[in-house]
Amino acid sequence: MTTTTAPLLDVTGVTMRFGGLTAVNDVSLTVGEGEIIGLIGPNGAGKTTFFNCLTGLYVPTEGAVRYRGTVLPPKPHLVTQAGIARTFQNIRLFANMTVLENVLVGRHTRTREGIFSAILRLPRYHHAEAESREKAMELLAFTGLAHKADHLARNLPYGEQRKLEIARALASDPGLLLLDEPTAGMNPQETRAAEELVFAIRDQGVSVLVIEHDMRFIFNLCDRTAVLVQGQKIVEGDRATVQNDERVISAYLGAPLESTTPAAPEDTQ
Amino acid sequence: MHDLPQQLANGLILGALYGLVAIGYTMVYGIVQLINFAHGEIVMVGGFGALTAYLALPGGTTLWLALPLMLIAGILVSTLTAVAAERFAYRPLRNAPRLAPLITAIGLSIFLQQLVFSFYPDAKKARVFPKIPGDPFSLGSVTVQRSDLFLIIAAPLCMLALGWFVTRTRSGRAMQATSQDPDTAKLMGIDTDRIIVMAFAIGAAFAAVAAVAYGLRSGQVDFRMGFILGLKAFTAAVLGGIGNIYGAMLGGLALGLAEALATGYIQHLPGMHLFGGGAWKDVWAFVLLILVLLVRPQGLLGERVADRA
Amino acid sequence: MTTRTETTPVIPLPATAATTLTGLGALAVAASAAMSWTWTSDFPGDLTYYGSPVGLQWLAVAAGVLTLALLLATLGTPGLRWAAPTRSNNAVLYAATGALAVAAYSVTSISTELGGLANLEPGGWVLAGGGLLGVLGALGLPLDRRTHVPLRILDKRLFLLLPAAPVGWIAAHAIPGDKPVAPVMTALSGALAIAAGAVLLLQLGHLANSQLRLGKVDRPLPAPRELPSWVEVLLIVAAFGVGSYAITFGIDTDYGELFIGYLLLIAFMIAALAGSGLLGRLRALTLKYRPVTTGAAFAAAASFPFQTGEQYASVATNILIFATVALGLNIVVGLAGLLDLGYVAFLGVGAYAAALVSGSPASPIHVQLPFWAAVIVGAAVSMVFGVVIGAPTLRLRGDYLAIVTLGFGEIFRITMQNLNGTTGPNVTNGSNGIPRIPELNILGFDFSQTHALGGIQIGRFGNYYLLMLLVTALVVLVFARVGNSRIGRAWIAIREDETAAEAMGINGFRLKLLAFALGACLAGVAGTVQAHVTYTVTPDQYTFADALPPNSAFLLAAVILGGMGTISGPLAGATLLFLIPKKLEFLSDYQLLVFGAALIVLMRVRPEGLIPNRRRQLEFHEADEPAPPAADDDTTALTKAGA
Repeated sequence: MTTTTAPLLDVTGVTMRFGGLTAVNDVSLTVGEGEIIGLIGPNGAGKTTFFNCLTGLYVPTEGAVRYRGTVLPPKPHLVTQAGIARTFQNIRLFANMTVLENVLVGRHTRTREGIFSAILRLPRYHHAEAESREKAMELLAFTGLAHKADHLARNLPYGEQRKLEIARALASDPGLLLLDEPTAGMNPQETRAAEELVFAIRDQGVSVLVIEHDMRFIFNLCDRTAVLVQGQKIVEGDRATVQNDERVISAYLGAPLESTTPAAPEDTQ
Repeated sequence: MHDLPQQLANGLILGALYGLVAIGYTMVYGIVQLINFAHGEIVMVGGFGALTAYLALPGGTTLWLALPLMLIAGILVSTLTAVAAERFAYRPLRNAPRLAPLITAIGLSIFLQQLVFSFYPDAKKARVFPKIPGDPFSLGSVTVQRSDLFLIIAAPLCMLALGWFVTRTRSGRAMQATSQDPDTAKLMGIDTDRIIVMAFAIGAAFAAVAAVAYGLRSGQVDFRMGFILGLKAFTAAVLGGIGNIYGAMLGGLALGLAEALATGYIQHLPGMHLFGGGAWKDVWAFVLLILVLLVRPQGLLGERVADRA
Repeated sequence: MTTRTETTPVIPLPATAATTLTGLGALAVAASAAMSWTWTSDFPGDLTYYGSPVGLQWLAVAAGVLTLALLLATLGTPGLRWAAPTRSNNAVLYAATGALAVAAYSVTSISTELGGLANLEPGGWVLAGGGLLGVLGALGLPLDRRTHVPLRILDKRLFLLLPAAPVGWIAAHAIPGDKPVAPVMTALSGALAIAAGAVLLLQLGHLANSQLRLGKVDRPLPAPRELPSWVEVLLIVAAFGVGSYAITFGIDTDYGELFIGYLLLIAFMIAALAGSGLLGRLRALTLKYRPVTTGAAFAAAASFPFQTGEQYASVATNILIFATVALGLNIVVGLAGLLDLGYVAFLGVGAYAAALVSGSPASPIHVQLPFWAAVIVGAAVSMVFGVVIGAPTLRLRGDYLAIVTLGFGEIFRITMQNLNGTTGPNVTNGSNGIPRIPELNILGFDFSQTHALGGIQIGRFGNYYLLMLLVTALVVLVFARVGNSRIGRAWIAIREDETAAEAMGINGFRLKLLAFALGACLAGVAGTVQAHVTYTVTPDQYTFADALPPNSAFLLAAVILGGMGTISGPLAGATLLFLIPKKLEFLSDYQLLVFGAALIVLMRVRPEGLIPNRRRQLEFHEADEPAPPAADDDTTALTKAGA
């Protein structure tokens, strides 16, 4: 899939420094409408810091992040409101709320009912609440969790907690979904199901930017993949470009000649 | 404004007292991120410990002999109380939700106050604490009470000792490492439990010194003395940057000065003539706390205060 | 972690023997009430008569009858089966233990107050014997137990206190009494003795727990009988009638002995009814008919002044003020997870605001606003203070809010004291407070007068009670509706995980400020009524910790004790916390001491409160549950990169 229109997300020259440490150095990246973009890199490469720059947790020292042409505001809740939703690497559900309530919280920015509306419970309130519930149930059906709507989030098995995080993120009607290691800790079957889910999300018109360690997952999924090493983007492109890049191999294996290790990216076929 | 030097001296002495108490808040906070509300009461029990030692000595013992013994008794009582509180009240809650230890701290604070109130003889009202006899000193236009000499000597000594401990000893460095990153410190083989106990103990020892200083200054100790003192000391710790031990002392001095100046001069400001004097000093200290939180929440020497995401 | 369970007796008795023994014991306890317990009328309540039970004797009747009823119900007696859906004999044991507790307490207090067991009449002996028999019999019934409970031994070092206590006692007595330090030593040895006793008791408790091993066996419940809905509604109303009667009885108790007996009875009976499954059934019913339940609850509360005299209406009004403010605090603490330690100051702000515009001659503002305007003023001023305190602190870690609010509570009191015309401008009349606040007169209804409502005379406190009940209803409404809405969900989300909540588009600071301001506002409204109820507002009514509620520490305790995030929790907690100091005056010296210790112990053993919110309970016991498999960065990276 190629982008013909202006990119949805346009990251230009983002640099993030903490004191003397440069965690992300001059990284540019674009995500077009309907694209699935992967971001890989070894531990400590700055992937999460880069993510945090996109989600408003950090304000980049240099460079700019534009979403639909406007610079992102530096507050997480405003970023979500603008249309970028995210999941977390270490699942952060509202563990003691029900599955349905978790998704309803995700609807927060798309609903307006305030405190007086809640107290007075005028017809408009009931209408908005019913609409939210309907939308939330749709999303639960979409992710295959509808039968567990009344369970506490904490009681879901691991794989379903990941799905719920995605459903909750989708509830804010995002244009771009950021997935932070969505398959961490999953077995191959669950990973396969996650792939299907990401494709289904894309087919609904939501672009996806995904951080992963699992190369097979990334290469199956993504239209383009960028590799981040020591804070810098060393290569970006399709599967073949990335897999044959010497720098990627050396970054993952330490040195190119030691490719006898079974974990070499070439083996992921 | 001819009494400015006097006001400054008063402020610095008062501030040193706040600073000593603030150290306890800041050390515990730096390591376990807990505001130990009961710290004010640790000061209070230290004061009563010192008083007990004084009462136990034969009448007519010179204060120069009694004072060190009182200090030892006060430190003993404070430290034991604080360590016991850590072991039995706080430690079991270390992984509990964040409200639980705070509520325990309030319970402990009320419990200690009432323990002294109910069981220490005649503690229902303030008990007389010895003062250092003799006339005040005069240095130019500044007069200093003899009883304040103790604080003037003890506070810098304590700070020097603490500075030496933190930078020069193994335990002190371990403590700094733990406050930076408890998990990594644990991986490096530091016994974090021991470090936490140590933080409570050192804070309590400083609290006892402060309690003796307070007793000497005001000539009395009472079961309620820890409440306002604790609040002020916490303000000082925030002012200096909570978690930073030098900041605590600096914050204490700044708060003491601000309080003395507010007491002395605020009534001279236009429109404020009714808001000066001792009755309002606590109010101004509180207003200062709110202003600091508004303008520079990380305090004078602190780093950014934010939840680690 | 699953525990295995069994259904076996603690004492091996033949089934019929156990049943007979329990039944006889229960009967004896109930029957003893018809006999004289003691020969002299010196014991409060006068228990000397045959045939006419009074005070404690009625408690014995209730305990005996309930035990018997539960016994018959678990046996499956037709007509009583509804009382014990679970058929668990534990319910019988709890009820029998309640009967024994009432009996033991009555006998002990009679013999200690009058000086010896010789003061017991036959009725007293029957009572004690019946109580013991009942528990022995119940222990022989097949009980729900866990198969294995390890014996917990306290930290060995604590047992050093046991020999230390007598040593301390000897040391204290060795010091001549004229030394100034002697009383200190006496106090120390006393504290040592108390600590040693506590250690001993705690260890005994652990021992009993490991022997009794009481637990809960999950067995299929029979489906509730299909009833027409009007019957179900009537059942709810009846239940609230019983509850209202029980609470009224507690408020009306006029001596400490009766109140303690009452508390013992209530505690054990609640445990028994929960064990029998009846409370669960009732709860299911109330959930089914929510509006009816709410209506019944308010009708029960509103009926209070019609059942009792002016003296108790005054107590009830104060309970209501306390409970309402506690519920307001629960929005802040329970829903949004913000610790507010100076909440009573907002009540004070409301009360002072109302007093200043009430037309009191001591108010420097010589205006008399109508009450509705005063309420708005009180609420608005409180809210402004809430925003001023909250705005700088709510951006920071939660601990800052705790201490800033603690400071605010104290500063409020000091400021009210200072605004007396000498140390500051005269606004509040200093520590004398604003006296002679006029009585309310709404639409010609004079609150100071006794009115006849439905043929019953309702006095001044009855009037204010009913007004305060409206405020309570308002706070309940706000809590229930906002708590279960977009805003309430956002609060809970913030409480659970603020970072994740922000990533969901929730403006954490704004919503926390909203919760804080709303809490302040509701306290302010309660304050405006309180000012009129108490005639006078003084700074010392609004302290952090004091023997008398409402104060900030007690408010927080009511919320925590009752259960965070629930409506009934703070109401129940506040009622208990108000009545205990009021009824047990002999405790007054040690009340705060016990209170402080209780907070520490509660946080350690049951941090979710007595009536926990389902969610809250889970959250607080998080550490006990197995953590979800962590997405460990390093290992997954290595295993997955080449998978």
